[in-house]
Amino acid sequence: MTEIAGKLFTWINTRLPIVNTFERHLSKHPVPSKVNFWYLFGALAAVTLIIQVVTGIWLIMPYSNTEEQAFSSIEYIMRDVDYGWVIRYMHTTGASLFFAVVYLHMFRGLLYGSYQKPKELVWIFGCTIYLAMMAEGFLGYVLPYGQMSYWGAQVIISLFGAIPYIGESLELWVRGDYYISGITVSRFFALHVVALPLVLIALVFLHLVALHEVGAGNPEGVDIEEHLDDDGVPLDSVPFFPYKVLNALVAIGVFMTVFSIIMFFFPEGGGYFIEMANFQEANPLVTPDHIAPVWYYAPFYTMLRAIPDPLGGLIVMASAVAIFFIVPWLDRSKVASIRYKGIYSKIAITMFGVSFLTLGYLGTVGVTEVRKTMSVICTIIYFAYFLLMPIYTKYETTKEVPERL
Amino acid sequence: MISMLNCFQIISKGIVLSILLFFFNEIYAAEGGPCKDYGECDKFQYSLNDIESLQRGASTYINYCYGCHSLKYSRWGRVAKDLQIPEDIFFENLVFDKSIKPGDLMVGAMPEDSANWFGVEPPDLTLVSRYKGDDWIYSYLRAYYEDSSKQYGVNNLVYPGTAMPNVLMSLQGNQQLICKDVPLLAKNGGEKRDDFGNTIFKEKCGFLEVQEGTGILTREEFDTLIYDLTNFLVYVGEPSKATRERIGWYVVFYFLIFTALSSLLYREYHKDYNK
Repeated sequence: MTEIAGKLFTWINTRLPIVNTFERHLSKHPVPSKVNFWYLFGALAAVTLIIQVVTGIWLIMPYSNTEEQAFSSIEYIMRDVDYGWVIRYMHTTGASLFFAVVYLHMFRGLLYGSYQKPKELVWIFGCTIYLAMMAEGFLGYVLPYGQMSYWGAQVIISLFGAIPYIGESLELWVRGDYYISGITVSRFFALHVVALPLVLIALVFLHLVALHEVGAGNPEGVDIEEHLDDDGVPLDSVPFFPYKVLNALVAIGVFMTVFSIIMFFFPEGGGYFIEMANFQEANPLVTPDHIAPVWYYAPFYTMLRAIPDPLGGLIVMASAVAIFFIVPWLDRSKVASIRYKGIYSKIAITMFGVSFLTLGYLGTVGVTEVRKTMSVICTIIYFAYFLLMPIYTKYETTKEVPERL
Repeated sequence: MISMLNCFQIISKGIVLSILLFFFNEIYAAEGGPCKDYGECDKFQYSLNDIESLQRGASTYINYCYGCHSLKYSRWGRVAKDLQIPEDIFFENLVFDKSIKPGDLMVGAMPEDSANWFGVEPPDLTLVSRYKGDDWIYSYLRAYYEDSSKQYGVNNLVYPGTAMPNVLMSLQGNQQLICKDVPLLAKNGGEKRDDFGNTIFKEKCGFLEVQEGTGILTREEFDTLIYDLTNFLVYVGEPSKATRERIGWYVVFYFLIFTALSSLLYREYHKDYNK
């Protein structure tokens, strides 16, 4: 029996590079031996993606993508489907935590220069994943067809209307109707469950292939490829299995503990993960008192509101995301890691972090005069971090990077 | 270097905290609370394991509310099962339409043209505890007062101008908005006194008081009735809530053990390359 299995495996392996690929990308893949917790969010993002795909598949089964039944089918899942509530809360909690780990993962990239040569493509694929996630999250939020789904979609889709000449027709084309209706829901459903997941998974694949080609970074910014042993393996590396896997396992344990605390005890996340108004069925005749985006879009929503002109707001908001793509060419520093960069870089990234959090907070509350001024200031700091990067990274004194990890 | 980084982290945390505090103060100044003229909503703490409270709440709901407000996402049989009421007793005493089966949705008994009666169609209340909050319901149902300028002779502090008459008035009695002399408070929090040591009083309005002898229930009994009713609405808003919170402990415990074991394993392997 084992002999037959062995033969079958050899037969397949000579035709499909299973062992080779497995060793190259998993078991023997060399990773830097010294990294810190910031390097674990990539693995957590992968875990969350898997959770979202699996729970998503099970949610599609009882969900109904029609105007009449979208909302009630969610309640059907929550009440009548066995453990439907587990699956649904996993999906809603997963969505928020996916963004949380991806934001931390991106911040790690900025801290330790994970975009620098030769990792530009890894970074660009990553930015594209983030863009696809934003679209995926928005489309998914419309599907329960509650009040916030409806009015949130109304606000976001009307943004297209601000584009000159083609704006209005584009808006109509996206919506598929003169107002948000069952037609919008069913096309968003198709995009949310088929089109964007395909794009996301393809991009994650490219992100990883490119990463494995150039090798993972480390918080010191040391190039471990400079010192190899006799077999050509970096001296400052350990094989992915079991070392990195075990490290990730601890992170997954902590992450899943946090995940289950939220999911079982605070699934609405205080109204930030599932907004209270979304427990009311969509009603085109009644506007909610206060339309707020989910927390993960809040920083960009604040920028949109900070600019009085709709087109200007749209341009600023789009640039805020687009600017991430050119970071590899904005950073002129000789060193990668914040540990060896100069004082200007440190001040800049702190200001950036603070302004991003403040923008996020401002997006979830109503507008007052003070808050409006704050949002303009924070938007300026946000852009200054990127646009001044070529200057402050070039003209600051950096520290000597060690040879080895 | 590390201390430098730490320093930055502390400063940035400080900045974030102070900004947040500044804005939180501003929220309460700028936007009124959800309970409007009532002030702060009364706090409500649900107890979904108190089956008797849920049973009393269900009975109050079906007798006083269900005539107008459906629970259209909930099923009769599920309520009977979760509230541990034997199906025959449940259907005999609480379900008035004998053609209803356990698997039917609680779609209500209101005719189509009900909007003409109240100006608005009485809303479905299955999810009211989730979009209004339980504190709001608990305060709202206890904040009715006599107001002859309104269509049904009553108004509500939590929801001024509400279209719903006070259905529970026979139980609660006639509640009125009154003015009272209350002691003035000094800056130190104590009562303010005049030169002779007598407490200074000032008239304040907006207090709710039930006229004695007008209701069947005492104030405490009525509060309990509303507590049970709100508790039932919390249950019906999310019937799996009690189960969720029960099994949540096991799942969290499992992942804590998982984390502990995996970190022990990681530590052991870590020694291979970090001697």
